[in-house]
Amino acid sequence: MGESRGGGCCPPMDLMRSETMQLVQLIVPMESAHLTVSYLGDLGLVQFKDLNSEKSPFQRTYAAQIKRCGEMARKIRFFKDQMSKAGVIPKELLEKESDIDLDDVEVKLGELEAELVEINANNDKLQRSYNELMEYKLVLQKAGEFFSSAHRSATAQQREIESEDSQQAGDDLLESPLLQEEKSIDSSKQVKLGFLTGLVPREKSMVFERILFRATRGNIFIRQTVIEEPVIDPSSGEKAEKNVFVVFYSGERAKSKILKICEAFGANRYPFSEDLGKQAQMITEVSGRLSELKTTIDAGLGHRDILLQTIGDKFELWNLKVRKEKAIYHTLNMLSLDVTKKCLVAEGWSPVFASNEIQDALQRAAFDSNSQVGSIFQVLRTKESPPTYFRTNKFTSAIQEIVDAYGVAKYQEANPGVFTIVTFPFLFAVMFGDWGHGICILLATMYLILREKKLSSQKLGDIMEMAFGGRYVILMMSLFSIYTGLIYNEFFSIPYPLFAPSAYDCRDASCSEATTIGLIKVRDTYPFGLDPVWHGTRSELPFLNSLKMKMSILLGVSQMNLGIIMSYFNARFFKSSVNIWFQFIPQMIFLNSLFGYLSVLIIIKWCTGSQADLYHVMIYMFLSPTDELGENQLFPHQKTVQLVLLFLALVSVPCMLLPKPFILKKQHEARHQGQSYAPLDETDESLHVETTGGSHGHEEFEFSEIFVHQLIHTIEFVLGAVSNTASYLRLWALSLAHSELSSVFYEKVLLLAWGYNNVLILILGIMVFIFATVGVLLVMETLSAFLHALRLHWVEFQNKFYEGDGYKFAPFTFIFTANEDE
Amino acid sequence: MGFLITTLIFLVVGIIASLCVRICCNRGPSTNLLHLTLVITATICCWMMWAIVYIAQMNPLIVPILSETE
Repeated sequence: MGESRGGGCCPPMDLMRSETMQLVQLIVPMESAHLTVSYLGDLGLVQFKDLNSEKSPFQRTYAAQIKRCGEMARKIRFFKDQMSKAGVIPKELLEKESDIDLDDVEVKLGELEAELVEINANNDKLQRSYNELMEYKLVLQKAGEFFSSAHRSATAQQREIESEDSQQAGDDLLESPLLQEEKSIDSSKQVKLGFLTGLVPREKSMVFERILFRATRGNIFIRQTVIEEPVIDPSSGEKAEKNVFVVFYSGERAKSKILKICEAFGANRYPFSEDLGKQAQMITEVSGRLSELKTTIDAGLGHRDILLQTIGDKFELWNLKVRKEKAIYHTLNMLSLDVTKKCLVAEGWSPVFASNEIQDALQRAAFDSNSQVGSIFQVLRTKESPPTYFRTNKFTSAIQEIVDAYGVAKYQEANPGVFTIVTFPFLFAVMFGDWGHGICILLATMYLILREKKLSSQKLGDIMEMAFGGRYVILMMSLFSIYTGLIYNEFFSIPYPLFAPSAYDCRDASCSEATTIGLIKVRDTYPFGLDPVWHGTRSELPFLNSLKMKMSILLGVSQMNLGIIMSYFNARFFKSSVNIWFQFIPQMIFLNSLFGYLSVLIIIKWCTGSQADLYHVMIYMFLSPTDELGENQLFPHQKTVQLVLLFLALVSVPCMLLPKPFILKKQHEARHQGQSYAPLDETDESLHVETTGGSHGHEEFEFSEIFVHQLIHTIEFVLGAVSNTASYLRLWALSLAHSELSSVFYEKVLLLAWGYNNVLILILGIMVFIFATVGVLLVMETLSAFLHALRLHWVEFQNKFYEGDGYKFAPFTFIFTANEDE
Repeated sequence: MGFLITTLIFLVVGIIASLCVRICCNRGPSTNLLHLTLVITATICCWMMWAIVYIAQMNPLIVPILSETE
């Protein structure tokens, strides 16, 4: 695994280490500052440092401008809200729209907002009147029905009364119809009945009635009718179920009580006259006004829609402009004013390769803003640690994000992403191994890749977003899965003799012992992958478990060795020979003399077909190394070799632990012996900024801290060697789970359904099989294997060499994400 | 014998793949080195997997015992 990679001999490799970054200082005259920042934002390769971090947001130079932009952003949000309520979609932004002036935009936004607010207010008023009139109309209709039906029964009763003796009790008055003409029946209790009509919400109607009854001590009469469809309440604007009520009362006190109760219940009252003629008149009048209002409201809404359309045409343009300006002013606030108050000074990190482009942008800005003086571009020297910047394309960015999720690489440290691009899909495939499932996933991801352009401009849901972002990783995963599926010989758990006939056959012609002692190997080994005869046999699991466990150990030891070799490359790059001699070499010796030796034993056992018990060999290598091996001997002089390896492993542990702290201490003393007065070779500007970087001219060296650190590192490595190697056994575990699940779905669902010879059951079986395969195997197992492969990389691979305590390069750029509202 | 031949086949396929990648996406020495690394890593991974499964079956200690129904 140690072939020629990047280092001193070959040219540096892309993506292996961060781009070289430099701290630059830009001195920009005031008049070209805005344009400069705008062009640098278009370029997107400078990360500005905040030079005014002690100042509060209100003390900064451009606070007023930011407030302006904030106001405009608020207006734009208001427009967006209104547009979405009315269902107007803003026009898509074309590639190159002409640049517009911010002041113009501000004025226009103000005008449009005032107009829109006015239209909305008018609309609301009109709508309210409309709803009130609708309610009034309903009251007129329903109350009219009361009175007319009462009138009919009144005339009927009157005829009855006239035909009988006039001995009616006064109480009947309340039950009898209500028209004023009935006074003639009983003259002693002559009361003036008044009535009120209105609407009350249905859920409150019972309580309303009860309270009215109690408040007036039962001296009222109330009739309610249900209105079938819900009415729009004028005050709230929402539909509500209401009842029409008529309340008859006597006396002023009762009237005032009823009025108060109506107000409390939100029951709207409307005037009503008993006169039939007047009722009809009112109804026609109300209907006329209603239709007038309707046309007015419709005209108003039409006007508003036109206004929103005009807004929609320019919306995206304005939105982008306002956000750009806000970003520019935020950045301008980070620059500090020069002593002469005529220039702004900016400091920032940028990649070395971008120097020409930045200087170009500065010149263009100075020219375009007609300033007398040009801007100055200067590189500063500093001890601060720069941000990490990897130039990734759409293929490598997904993997880099996965690596960064664990920790961003320290500046110029070796990037595990380089190997992760291949080993991550590979380890996934070892756990997933089925070429049928692999083809399914390949088809799904090819769809995503072929519709790339269209899908990238759409807004997808959260889960689809993640799947789309990782489409190239999933593509690799599926390709490797097809490969490992061919090796495990599983197509939806069915093996096929694709490359040659099976190597096993019966011992004799009758095949009598096939189910007791088994077959024997008669031909050459099956040339590619697992022999197809194994599936479904009784000894399948013991054989496969042994094979897969040993495979996991071999793959694991290889990946861990790769990790340690990466630490060698780091040590060589940072020119730290103490790390090479007292970290890399003892680690290699320790890991390989134990687990590398185990791997060698595995291979020898396979090659010779020996019956040695490897557990026994490894364990007794530690417990009683001088014992005779007997039948566990795999190669001559094994005992001596084991003793030597054991000794090497034991010696390497103190080698890892002790020398490094002492050597570091000596180095520190040598470095700072003659350097009590360290020359200040940084400029004034950046000196006070460096206090946050923690690198003074005089470093502090705590010996005890270094020693404890080294102790922890050593213990972690030694114990980790065992636990990490065992952790790789998850490759076996998940692969076993996948093949067992797949086999169960095939045998117990599909074959079972086939056995019934019934078309309906077959179709049902196929449906269940497809759902189970997609849901459990293609989704759940994929996520599971993805997660475990990720863990193997993050922990077992990366803890051999990766520090990951850097910070990511975040340049100032105008490429906003779709949902950014700031 | 079969082992050596197939190993040679893997080697040849690896070399052809790196040549193809060099021909179709030639983008400067550092990027080429990255592509070469990726192709070599992939070839080695695939070969290792195949070799492990092949060697494990060369001298088997367990033989397949068919189940009753078959």
